[in-house]
Amino acid sequence: MSTAARKGWLFHAVMAPLTLLWVAPMVFVVLISIRSFDDIAGRGTAALPDSFTLDGFRTAFGEGSMGRALWTSVQVTVPAVLLSLLLSSMAAFALSRYAIPGRRAILLVMLAGNLLPPQILLIPVSRITESLGIYDTLAGLIAIHVGFGLGFYTFVLHGFMRSIPSEVTEAARIDGAGPFSVYARIIMPLCRPSLAALGALATTWIFNDLIWSITVLRTQAKFPVTAALLNLQGGYVSNWNVVAAASIMAAVPTAIVFFAFQRHFVSGLLMGSTK
Amino acid sequence: MVHSELSRRTFLTGIGLAGVGGLGAALLGGCATSSSDSGGGSSATLTLQSSLSDPSPKAALTKVVDGYTKTKVTLNTIAIETFRAQLPTYLNSATPPDVLTWYAGSVARDYASKGFLLDVSDLWTGSGACAGFSPALKELSTGGDGKQIFIPTNYYWWGVFYRKSAFQEWGVQPATTWDEFIALCKALKAKGVAPISMGTGSTPWVASGWFDYLNLRVNGAQFHRDLLAGKHSFDGPEVKAVMEHYRELLPYIDPKGRSYSWQDAVTPLASKKAGMYLIGAFITQSVPKDVVDDIDFFRVPIIDPNVPVAEEAPTDGYFASAKSKNVDGAKELLSYLASAPAQELFIKESASSNLPTSPQVSTTGFSPLVQKGIKLLNESAAITQFFNRDSSDALQSTADTALTKFLDSPGDVNSILTSWQSAAQKVLTS
Amino acid sequence: MWLFLLVPAAIEIGLVFWPALNSFYLSLTKWNGLGAPEQVGLDNYRDLFSDDVFREALGNNVIWAVGFGGLSVAGGLALAVALNKPRRGVGIYRSAIYLPMVFSLAVTGLFWRVQYQPDGTVNTLLGAVGLESLERQWLADPKTALYAVLVAAVWRQVGYVMVLYLAGLKGTDPSLDDASAVDGAGPWQRFWYVTWPQLRGVNTVVFAVTVIDSLRTFDIVWAMTQGGPYHSSELLSTYMFQQGFTFLNLGYASAVAVVIFALAILFIITYLVRTLKEEVA
Repeated sequence: MSTAARKGWLFHAVMAPLTLLWVAPMVFVVLISIRSFDDIAGRGTAALPDSFTLDGFRTAFGEGSMGRALWTSVQVTVPAVLLSLLLSSMAAFALSRYAIPGRRAILLVMLAGNLLPPQILLIPVSRITESLGIYDTLAGLIAIHVGFGLGFYTFVLHGFMRSIPSEVTEAARIDGAGPFSVYARIIMPLCRPSLAALGALATTWIFNDLIWSITVLRTQAKFPVTAALLNLQGGYVSNWNVVAAASIMAAVPTAIVFFAFQRHFVSGLLMGSTK
Repeated sequence: MVHSELSRRTFLTGIGLAGVGGLGAALLGGCATSSSDSGGGSSATLTLQSSLSDPSPKAALTKVVDGYTKTKVTLNTIAIETFRAQLPTYLNSATPPDVLTWYAGSVARDYASKGFLLDVSDLWTGSGACAGFSPALKELSTGGDGKQIFIPTNYYWWGVFYRKSAFQEWGVQPATTWDEFIALCKALKAKGVAPISMGTGSTPWVASGWFDYLNLRVNGAQFHRDLLAGKHSFDGPEVKAVMEHYRELLPYIDPKGRSYSWQDAVTPLASKKAGMYLIGAFITQSVPKDVVDDIDFFRVPIIDPNVPVAEEAPTDGYFASAKSKNVDGAKELLSYLASAPAQELFIKESASSNLPTSPQVSTTGFSPLVQKGIKLLNESAAITQFFNRDSSDALQSTADTALTKFLDSPGDVNSILTSWQSAAQKVLTS
Repeated sequence: MWLFLLVPAAIEIGLVFWPALNSFYLSLTKWNGLGAPEQVGLDNYRDLFSDDVFREALGNNVIWAVGFGGLSVAGGLALAVALNKPRRGVGIYRSAIYLPMVFSLAVTGLFWRVQYQPDGTVNTLLGAVGLESLERQWLADPKTALYAVLVAAVWRQVGYVMVLYLAGLKGTDPSLDDASAVDGAGPWQRFWYVTWPQLRGVNTVVFAVTVIDSLRTFDIVWAMTQGGPYHSSELLSTYMFQQGFTFLNLGYASAVAVVIFALAILFIITYLVRTLKEEVA
């Protein structure tokens, strides 16, 4: 074999088993989701399936209200992502293109907001949302997601925007454009790959969030997918086939988003790239 | 790229100061830790916040609630750990859930002493829904000030569960005394079966099952209760005697159980690879359907015939929020939940071998297993709850640490008990 | 124009910093969630330093930061480099490795718990290659529990880091790489002297993300061992959760949270201040 062909063969020989290791859990979850509860209870979670049933999915959809929960997740994720990107790009714009005093400190402080362990904010946040009247509402949950993510998104967008040469904005300013049009017409379109990448990342985080959902929401009908999934697990007994089926349903949207934005991912999260 | 305006700088500084100033300690403390004022008035719907996320009980409660036609009830089922963490928030809210599920015992009493639970004493007198309940249940539902704050609706028993057909195959019989029990374990081991299954991996509280029972059998219920209240020492001679008996069990406990959750450990029992499991009657929820009728149990063997026989029977039920906006509605819902038909429906649907608290529920329709459970408890001299319900989750955690360490290194029992005592002291005096 | 900064800043202050400062305040109290908190000054911190479990958790966190951080970054980087060149199947490999991030942690935890069981895949594989002596109850043995969970966490995180590095690599200039190859530089030299310096930007993000994630790791440990057996896999985040939400010692839990925050600040801010100083406006 030629060196190139041998290298190719070696590459696949290493990557393929490695990939199988990564895919194994998915296969595991699928196998559990198509088994019956009795099969799992009688032979254990590790055994190969002895039954085939779509009961898990049916129950997840019906009693588990996964359909409604999925819709709720969408209702929360889409506005939260859009608002986060809007606000963080605004802040990044201000911090990167204007010599605001202490801008580095402000940026670091905003990022620091992301460093807090969310668990400890749970009780203060629930009280504050209650006093603001947004406790147990989806609007409150969206607000929390936006607030909590701002620091990180601003940080990344800031790095990206800094690398945009000043000549581009100078030209527009000379033409008389105010800050808002510079923002909207020049900077934002240039940031599109970065925004797409951050958007996909944000979607994954917000969609998969559990802890804020269970803090801000109290009514079961308003639960997004992650909290609904948690509720499928009992204090004593869990129907693992239903949990597995529901997990698959919960994973599908984020997987779709990831694959759709994959192209942008690899061109998006750049900081200080040269042209 | 450079703009700078003095006005912007001052504005930003101003914002910064305002932000920091506004976060004065008093304001902080006040805003986030105080409970808001609740207004008067009533609402047309009720909220029932439930921690029963296990599949069958959840379905059962849904059915029960659907049968309540007087007021519209919103049933929110929350996973137990989340529920436990959010319970203070629920009770402290300006618009709390009206009725909540929970357990009888120290936690309920604690909330009651702080004024968060509705006084439901009128349901326990005269023609109230709970008036006919046993005095033991009334005592369990009474707060420190003598008023009732809890409505018990079902309880279950603990026992040594096994499969009838398996015992027949192996040619063994249930045991009534300790010596018989050890002999039974030996016989099972000789047959290549793990005599005792016990899942203490992600559910370490299961180890407290044997501890509680050995303590009840060796030292009696009063000692057990006093121990959990801090009146005795965990490294005293009585507990050491308990651990001696526990040590006798160790060779017969399935070692793989250290990696299983309690639920995983049911599988060996169901597939006849293990013989017995000391666990609550909720085990019937997690065995395959064709095995349910084969499940039977026997009382934990007697060690000292002079000690009055005590059993563990954790009691579940409901309480209401003192700040509920619809106090009358909440009481009516509680009456409904405590009523015989509601209890009967719940027990039938929940597949969890629960016992009713209402003496008006006819037990003739229950499975033979449940009837045996009722008989067991009726023949007992004293009833306790489980370790954590008789003390606190914090003390339970010290038990988990100590007992799992003991399971792994029984030779260190003395130092383990000493550490347990100091950890327990920390919890009980905090 | 300052509105651009004001609105986001106001939201972050209101919904993040205000509760955060609340937590700092709470760490100076004793509170169980009901009624008013009781002021205890620095007692919580004093208790922390004599708390064996806290010290064990702190030590575990150091192991975790080095292990989880180091392995996920090294693994992610290696995979990114390997999967950067367009080749047959590269897309599939990339997607497969990122896929764990998409699944809920409850199920991931269950999957790994099952693999580590006494009759699970890990032990079976060890037996198959003749290493029976290494078989053990991975999650029940205090000596191995933390590392077993670490493997699961790294497995999950690697895809995420890989994606970040792929993005970074796409921003590197291939002509530089080709030029140095022509000059006779070997692949390792090319990577170290040509590619790596161009990744500085991505490295900042990866470092920040890794430190944040390793200090915040909670769900996967909780799902697999809950910090057991007897606290041997306890991390600061699980200890804080247990204290705060199982025992309702909210003051004490807040003190642990402040420690977590301080550690995160220490790492991130010193690194970032250094990096940002280099990039002069």
